[in-house]
Amino acid sequence: MKRKTFFAFTAPSNIVMVTLMILPLGLAIWFGLNYITYTNVAAPNFVGLSNYQEVLEDVAFWDALRWTLVIIMVVVPAHIIIAFVLSVVLDQITGRIRAFYLAGLLAPMIVVPVIGTIVFRQLFDPSGLIAWFLRVTLDETFVFTETSMKSLLLLHTIWISTPFALVIFFAGLQTLPSDLADAAAIDGANRLQQIRHIVIPHLRSLFLLNAILGVMDMFRLFDNVFVLTRMNPIFHADTILTYNYRIAMVVRRLGKGNAVAVLTVVFIMAALIPFLMYMYREQIEER
Amino acid sequence: MQPIKHPIGRIFIHLILWVAVLISTVPFIWTTLQSLKTKKQAHSRTPLIWFEPTLDNYRELWLDSVPDNFAVLAYGLIAILLFFILLSVFANQLPISRRTINWTIAGGLVLILWLIPQFIDTAEFYDYFVNTAIVGVGTVIISISIASLSAYGLARYVGLAGVILILMALAFRSLPRLAFALPYYWMGQMSGLHDTHFLVIITLTAVNQPFSLYMLRSFFMDIPREIEEAAMIDGASRFVAFIRVIVPIMWPGIFATSLFTLVLVYHEFLLVSILTQSNWTLAVAMRQYLPGISVAGSLPLQSAAAVSGALPLAIVVLIFQKQLVKGLSAGAVKG
Repeated sequence: MKRKTFFAFTAPSNIVMVTLMILPLGLAIWFGLNYITYTNVAAPNFVGLSNYQEVLEDVAFWDALRWTLVIIMVVVPAHIIIAFVLSVVLDQITGRIRAFYLAGLLAPMIVVPVIGTIVFRQLFDPSGLIAWFLRVTLDETFVFTETSMKSLLLLHTIWISTPFALVIFFAGLQTLPSDLADAAAIDGANRLQQIRHIVIPHLRSLFLLNAILGVMDMFRLFDNVFVLTRMNPIFHADTILTYNYRIAMVVRRLGKGNAVAVLTVVFIMAALIPFLMYMYREQIEER
Repeated sequence: MQPIKHPIGRIFIHLILWVAVLISTVPFIWTTLQSLKTKKQAHSRTPLIWFEPTLDNYRELWLDSVPDNFAVLAYGLIAILLFFILLSVFANQLPISRRTINWTIAGGLVLILWLIPQFIDTAEFYDYFVNTAIVGVGTVIISISIASLSAYGLARYVGLAGVILILMALAFRSLPRLAFALPYYWMGQMSGLHDTHFLVIITLTAVNQPFSLYMLRSFFMDIPREIEEAAMIDGASRFVAFIRVIVPIMWPGIFATSLFTLVLVYHEFLLVSILTQSNWTLAVAMRQYLPGISVAGSLPLQSAAAVSGALPLAIVVLIFQKQLVKGLSAGAVKG
């Protein structure tokens, strides 16, 4: 394909991405340098880097960052392990019932996240199933405290992110050449050894993919925190994104909110650079 | 790996999967039960599993007042929908082309959506549903059209610009929504487009471009170049070859990507909630029914809203489950 044709084909998409992705990012950087509330949206007040200084000195910002990192460190390994185990187990099933299991397992991913969270929280309401269960078995009344809310958030995040990782592993297992495992079985390798020495190496790139996607998704975690905590600050459960939302939409400091967004972009980009380099090398070779 | 044959092993496998399926689905089943209860039953401290179901909550959610001839209208609606389903199931046996039938069904559905409020006094929830349909379909059409063209270019062009473009798309895909949403908010306020379908559709198109580009490109890479080259030797321009030859072959991939875009748009909460004032989509409208909010604090109404909000997408996904899983695995394993 000629260069000219390439640009003609990609033009509509590029125009949209430039005007609605690159331009807004530029705007975000510019807003971050201004004092803007909702009363002076049209006439921002240039204040230089003071928004950034304010954010970096804000204890709540560092708390949010720390909590986001905790979520990453708990949820990413946990959901990958659960997804891997389930995909290996599901791979043992053949026939019609497999589609049924798969559909059931994917439910948390298909249902709108906001609704998935409402539904999850209902179980813990005073009239909910799990609250009742705890009352009956442990004689314990479930109360939303900082600890219970944070544990619930971790549980729910695992619950909602496992299905996607599971589909990826499951698809990868379908491409596993069967003669490899068969040969190993004949050589006397038991199932755990087969998983350890054949299945896991075969899926190595998918483990990496799931880990990267998981980290990126956790940095963007918003919907379930918003619904579960209802932005109530007593839970101290702000992630980076809900903190950002709080500054921009609740406290209504648009300029400072943009400064937080730009800082987040810088963090994510820094984390992403090794991955982008890897992709770049792969793409160049592929040509 | 070879399947385990030992009977106890088999039982164990099914047991694990059953537990996992229950953990995934019990919350939804519980909410569905709650939505069919009266307020008193739903707030009962001991969970009720057996009770006489009522549809009152759904009626309160969807309708402002119940017309006298409601039963007739409801049965009529169900009959029309059944007719469409039968039409699409038996489309291959009819002497009419598949394309005509699909367009008839699409047109019929739009007509029904428009006609219902003319005859029935619908509540706001119906408007949210229509908003979601408009935003969903609008975004899918615009986004997939421009992304298909671009992804085809990316799959065929070997220059450096293509590599840079795809890497940029990847980087953009991972950025937090608020980095875009706040500038969009400002743009909407300045241009007076705040709270319009247009703004929501065009911004959702933009934020979904990277994903669509990436997924479509992986499908286009699979098509041998010889196919469109043959068409071009016959005198077609590259664009005509693309529309006439490539798109029909690629249709399953384009369709799977469209489904994914629909799911992403339907799920989008943060961006749409910032860009709208009252023209909410279903996901955003759920804000009114959050646990603990007093206005709609009644549990059964909240549950009915949750079920009503989730069901339309769940039906679409169930119908096209096969295409979706195929697309997901194809995109994931290659990407």
